[in-house]
Amino acid sequence: MSVRPAGDFKTHYAADMALLDTRLYRVGFLALLVVLAAAPVWAGRYLFLLNTIGIFAIGAVGLALLTGFAGQISLGHAAFMAVGAYTSWYVTTRLQWPFVAALPLAGLVAFVVGAVVGLPSLRIKGLYLAIATMAFQFITEYVIIHTAGGMAGNVVPPARIGGRVFQQEADFYLYLLLPLWLASGVFAANLVRGRIGLALMAVRDRDYAAQVLGVPLLYYKTLAFALAACFAGISGSLFAHYNRVIGAEHFGIGLSIDYIAIIVLGGLTSVWGPHLGAAFVTLLNQGLRFATPLLVAALPGLGKAATPLREIVFGTLLIALLIWEPGGLATLFRKLKRYLDLWPFPH
Amino acid sequence: MTLAFVLDGLVVGLAVGSIYALIALGFALLYKSTKILNLAHGELVLFGGYLAIALTRALDLPVLAAFGLGVAATLAAAAALGFVVERGVMRPLFGQPLLSVIIVTLALGYIIRGVMVGLWGGDTRQFPPVIPADVVRLGSIPIPRVGVWSAGVAVALLVVFSLFFRYSLWGIAMRAAANEQLTASTLGVSLKRVFAYAWAFAAIAGSVGGILIGLWLGVNFALAHVGLKALAAVILGGLDSIPGAILGGFIIGVLETVVGGYIDANVVLFGIPLQGFKDITPFLVILLVLLVRPYGLFGTEHIERL
Repeated sequence: MSVRPAGDFKTHYAADMALLDTRLYRVGFLALLVVLAAAPVWAGRYLFLLNTIGIFAIGAVGLALLTGFAGQISLGHAAFMAVGAYTSWYVTTRLQWPFVAALPLAGLVAFVVGAVVGLPSLRIKGLYLAIATMAFQFITEYVIIHTAGGMAGNVVPPARIGGRVFQQEADFYLYLLLPLWLASGVFAANLVRGRIGLALMAVRDRDYAAQVLGVPLLYYKTLAFALAACFAGISGSLFAHYNRVIGAEHFGIGLSIDYIAIIVLGGLTSVWGPHLGAAFVTLLNQGLRFATPLLVAALPGLGKAATPLREIVFGTLLIALLIWEPGGLATLFRKLKRYLDLWPFPH
Repeated sequence: MTLAFVLDGLVVGLAVGSIYALIALGFALLYKSTKILNLAHGELVLFGGYLAIALTRALDLPVLAAFGLGVAATLAAAAALGFVVERGVMRPLFGQPLLSVIIVTLALGYIIRGVMVGLWGGDTRQFPPVIPADVVRLGSIPIPRVGVWSAGVAVALLVVFSLFFRYSLWGIAMRAAANEQLTASTLGVSLKRVFAYAWAFAAIAGSVGGILIGLWLGVNFALAHVGLKALAAVILGGLDSIPGAILGGFIIGVLETVVGGYIDANVVLFGIPLQGFKDITPFLVILLVLLVRPYGLFGTEHIERL
């Protein structure tokens, strides 16, 4: 069965612009949506996994825009998430504003902070930028600990729209997370196909050349940072209202590195990458959490060695993937698709 | 800020700074010859500290002999680790984009730290008393004996490394490769070997730093952060300048102890006491340096042309 027609048979612009351009894709995407929407039925008590995946996928979409498409390395993505989470906390508890105001505000504040942090990216790049964003990460952690109660943890009220409180896993998932998740994915997918996305990719590939060709570097680099931060901020706000308790330890450098792992494992320059990566990393985390006690029970001599299992597995996976399949899971899927296309012939 | 406080801080800061300088040397060495910034360098520090302590404790000998043997074995292990990392991880990635390399070093750090914590647990571990834990006086300024020792060892090692680079054939080859990779390679310098040696030396420098810190404060898994402070030192000195890294180490040590310590204890901003400010001083230095002079004090200014 062929996934794609052997040629370009489009006859009007609308068909050419379509995000899902073959019937198989449209049907497949619809099926995926149905499956996701029906998750409260089939996932049962594991629905929290989908909630976690969704929250981190939204943040990862932002980082994929910044790192995958604009080529700006950031080791401070968790800090932007923290900005969103604490904005949301401040707005809902101190100012007593409703959640519907807190969520966009979290995105907005993170957007502004991201733009400010992104400004130096015009002067420094690559390694230096990675280090600068790492410094930003540590400074943000410090500020949180010393101004917002930090390590003790701050209690955030559940999300509430009108009279409805999204306290149950299923409510939060169906009415809040899924629409936002879908919207962020579609927004990013459209963004990278359009003028902004093309400009970002030009900046990634050779920023000076892009400038010579008339792409304003300052504008697009700052925009990339701001957009990435905005996604992270919204993800942070969702995390705060979902987890209900936030503390500095939720947004440490470890999470920033996890974000990098998510987009690298998922596939850097793929629209699907961040979603696949978030799902993979979350499931792997959960699997390891599940497997570690079993492993210790089976091999008691292992004892202490099993605690940092997650770090070792993560590190090994990242290195193996970068050596053998730098395109990540998205590329693996693409290869699988091609293989099925040609099956049973090898070429 | 009294004069006594400044003088105290200066001396302690220089002692701490000497360790930073040593660790920073590892960073700069590796960056200069391979253009890789090893974000797992802090974990190499951890590796040295943990392994040396474990070996010293495990050997059934008089303390000093066990310590000597333990350190020798640790340095050998560090060199081996450097070779393994270069051969197993970095060589297959040669020529890959910067992001991959950064992520790989981060992942490497994850693995090394995971293995260390897995083997020896997360609690702070100490050496058996190798050096008496008393305080010597330099004039009127008290300074822990361990601090004097670590400063001495660090300075000695810095001298050894710089002599090695100046006079030995391998040192010259490494400098050549660092200066102009392609030219050096066409003139018969084996880049593979140079890279392998650079990794081994970086691991050794990091490990010595770890041992010195272990002697002074003990090691725990949070020690990897010292690697980040050393990162501040290399950024300040200029990533590809070895003297810069050393000077940067001393400056960061003093800044952290004097300015950070002062703000830490005395400054209240908007009613919030700035405790723990010492720990983020290096990061503020990083940001400041990157904004004002991205190539550091002695680094080569990178000029980009199309």
